[in-house]
Amino acid sequence: MSTEWSWPASDAGGVLGDGRFAVATDRPRTPEELAEAVRARAAEGLAIYPQGGCTALDYGGVPSRPGVAMSTLGLDRVVDYPHADMTITVEAGMTLAALSAVLAGQGQRLPLDPPEPERATIGGILATQASGPRRFGLGRPRDLIIGVTFASSRGELIKGGGRVVKNVAGYDFPKLLTGSMGTLGVIVQATLKVRPIPETAALVWTPLADAGAVASALERLNVSLTRPVALELLSEPAAREIAGSIDLPIDRYVLVAGFEDNPDSIAWQLEQIRLELDPNDRAEIQGQDCEPLWRALADFQASRIGPFSIQANLCPHSVPGFLDQLDPARMSARAHAGDGIVHAHAIGDWSFEETAAAVSRLQQLAAAEEGYLIVTRCPTDWKSRISVWGLPRADWPLARKVKATLDPLHALNPGRFVDSIETTAGMQTQSASL
Amino acid sequence: MRSNGSVAEHRVLIPARAVAELTAAVGEENVLSRAEEMLVYECDGYLVERSIPDLVVFPTSTAQAAEIVRICNRHGLPFVPRGAGTSLAGGTLSIGGGVMVCLTRMKRILEVSLRDRYAIVETGLVNVFLTRSLGGTGFHYAPDPSSQGACTIGGNVATNSGGPHTLKYGVTVNHVRGTTLVMPDGNVVKTGGKVLDPPGYDLTGLVVGNEGTFGIVTEAVVNLTRDPEAGRTFLAVFDSVDAATETVSGIIAAGIVPAALEMLDNLMIQAVEEAFRFGFPTEAGAVLIIEIDGLEAGLEREARAVAEIVSARGGEIRRSIAWRTRKEPEYVAIWKSRKSAFGAIGRLSPTYCTQDGVVPRTKLPQILRHIVDVGRRHNLRIANVFHAGDGNIHPILLFDERNADEVERVMKASHEILDECIALGGSVTGEHGIGVEKMEFMPKLFSPADLAAMLAIRDAFNPQGRCNPLKMIPGGAGCLEKTGPRRAAPA
Repeated sequence: MSTEWSWPASDAGGVLGDGRFAVATDRPRTPEELAEAVRARAAEGLAIYPQGGCTALDYGGVPSRPGVAMSTLGLDRVVDYPHADMTITVEAGMTLAALSAVLAGQGQRLPLDPPEPERATIGGILATQASGPRRFGLGRPRDLIIGVTFASSRGELIKGGGRVVKNVAGYDFPKLLTGSMGTLGVIVQATLKVRPIPETAALVWTPLADAGAVASALERLNVSLTRPVALELLSEPAAREIAGSIDLPIDRYVLVAGFEDNPDSIAWQLEQIRLELDPNDRAEIQGQDCEPLWRALADFQASRIGPFSIQANLCPHSVPGFLDQLDPARMSARAHAGDGIVHAHAIGDWSFEETAAAVSRLQQLAAAEEGYLIVTRCPTDWKSRISVWGLPRADWPLARKVKATLDPLHALNPGRFVDSIETTAGMQTQSASL
Repeated sequence: MRSNGSVAEHRVLIPARAVAELTAAVGEENVLSRAEEMLVYECDGYLVERSIPDLVVFPTSTAQAAEIVRICNRHGLPFVPRGAGTSLAGGTLSIGGGVMVCLTRMKRILEVSLRDRYAIVETGLVNVFLTRSLGGTGFHYAPDPSSQGACTIGGNVATNSGGPHTLKYGVTVNHVRGTTLVMPDGNVVKTGGKVLDPPGYDLTGLVVGNEGTFGIVTEAVVNLTRDPEAGRTFLAVFDSVDAATETVSGIIAAGIVPAALEMLDNLMIQAVEEAFRFGFPTEAGAVLIIEIDGLEAGLEREARAVAEIVSARGGEIRRSIAWRTRKEPEYVAIWKSRKSAFGAIGRLSPTYCTQDGVVPRTKLPQILRHIVDVGRRHNLRIANVFHAGDGNIHPILLFDERNADEVERVMKASHEILDECIALGGSVTGEHGIGVEKMEFMPKLFSPADLAAMLAIRDAFNPQGRCNPLKMIPGGAGCLEKTGPRRAAPA
């Protein structure tokens, strides 16, 4: 590396997140151009920070060395859409909204509902494994990706998987790149499974007084005769935010069950769930009227209320108890209750000390049940003192090996993930290795 | 192809000391060392190549499996994990000998949580035993390969197995949350776990489908799926394969996602009917088994739509099974016929080999016409039974292994079919894996850069190349790299 680069003092070259600025922003127009730009920039000794719609710029650790923003927004084409095969191959910079418009032309959709679809790109959604309420019934990015092409930090275009829905030739790079946060390669193209748009939908909004009532309702729903595609649990402040101007009953908790199917099935499920849950109070929203509420449920994750946000991955049965640990005056929480995924945002002022204590306590709580808790957003200067990626894990040494294999230059998103996590030998790890 | 029943040229000489250590590690009752005892382990479902291991050991715990691996490392011995040996691609072939680590004595169901919808199992567990053990709970394990009565969960994890119901429910990787992996250096690492989506790299997703080249998966945490509330399974009869494939496209185009969509051509219908007497019309050009599932309340509407599409293509629904559980006798019978189809072929031919190509489902008519053409040119009988909804074909080439010329023609025909799958934008394997059988196709599917990246990943897990050497990806690091025999062509 010939030059010692220093951090730019202004955002003239672009923004990297966490208050860091880019030396420059490259905007290649094709996968080949992008791969070449990555190669050339890495050869200059610069780090590469892949960017799509910039919805997750502050996710993970702090960028650790100067570099360029590598925008994928110029890669926004549909490469192949054989709709009767229910697959689509697209470039990574296409937004989810733009993709949805293309798919809707054939009565299809990508059944993913992460927040901010107008900004979020396919590459970014895959890299961050972003999902939304419908993941319970319809799956996560890892369930929908069947092929990937990514640029390595050596500037090679590497592909894995293919364009057919069933394919076991070669190692599963599509899965490996999904959730890799731009640290293993820059995703330039992906092939995804798509699904028909369902005929209609319904949301059942049920206020519940306490965690006991929530736990009991969720247990019944787990063996319900109905087949919800979403099971969302909202704490009171989250319920208020999500209801917005819609007049809906709210209590300490609100449980939202979402259904999508043909009208006969929806009508039966609404009747059935009334019998199964037998609530005192409820609201049913049907058909087109569901859309704003689906959207609000999805966008909650991207809210920026107080200084930090967390995500906990738990066993579903422990979700009600976990939410009960969060003071509704100070945290607003929403869980994909069927999957055990909790997102919570701090409300109002929190000092660093208060935050660190709360995060540490919640991380222990999650770890006690073999779960995880990460800090998805917080002030940059807290990141060196809080374990944003949670307690050390036994699989991180292997993750680090994978990172070193695919990005030996450590050029891709340095500081964001495993390369920046300190693990001391002998440190107690979360799930012990034999 | 090697001479019949040959043993690989480069034998590993297993030192007596290693045998003693391995025996001490697992106990005498869990070791096979006499050639006649090990004969069954000289090949798997891929019958073309044989190579007998030097020793077969049966660990009964993860700790034992790790100890076996450490002993192999101390003595520089290659080792290969094996489940039930149902691989159709030679994935468990013990190339060059060495130690076979057979997981079939690790078959406990360690934990089941219906509330959190997972089970933790030892990977020697036979697939169907898991679903059977869940009978009456309202949950099941979704991946259901046709060999599920014999194949192990570990084998399914190794090859990312599919099955008839993957169209709607996904393949193995969609149902595995975590693995316990004995690394090739003897360390044990857990990827994932009970909880979904651990933040960070999806190592579980990478481990699934590794074909035993990353180490030995001894435990898996798998998803449990709610049973469908109701279903309809139709037997639709067509004059021609084309009419049946057009129906497949028509169903998908109508926005219906069937739970399964399986096709049998005339030759296959005859074999299956003779074996099982289910009532398949032996004069039909093709039949489709079409299954939809969901809520009873919504099924009638979908069933009507399916019936209209079938009749619009000149087909006829000969049987219609309305079911509330998958235990109803007629339902069991139709699926037994389908899943045992490979076995029924034995009535038509002394030997057969099956291919596992995939094409985009809209290209099914082209690939099927190509198969007919290939059969004609090489003067071979080829039966077809396959997952039409996924575009995953299983042409079964019938031959007599004593007829060298016919074997040669079968190999050529197989190649031509798989090459055409690639040309049509597909793949050479949908669920059986690359193994040793299809390695030579990898450079046709992937660029040198793709393959180099895959090799680098393998080397990260398996730097000495001792774990399941000479499989899946041609070349790479490892002690056996240059000593391997030439791979036989698929047949």
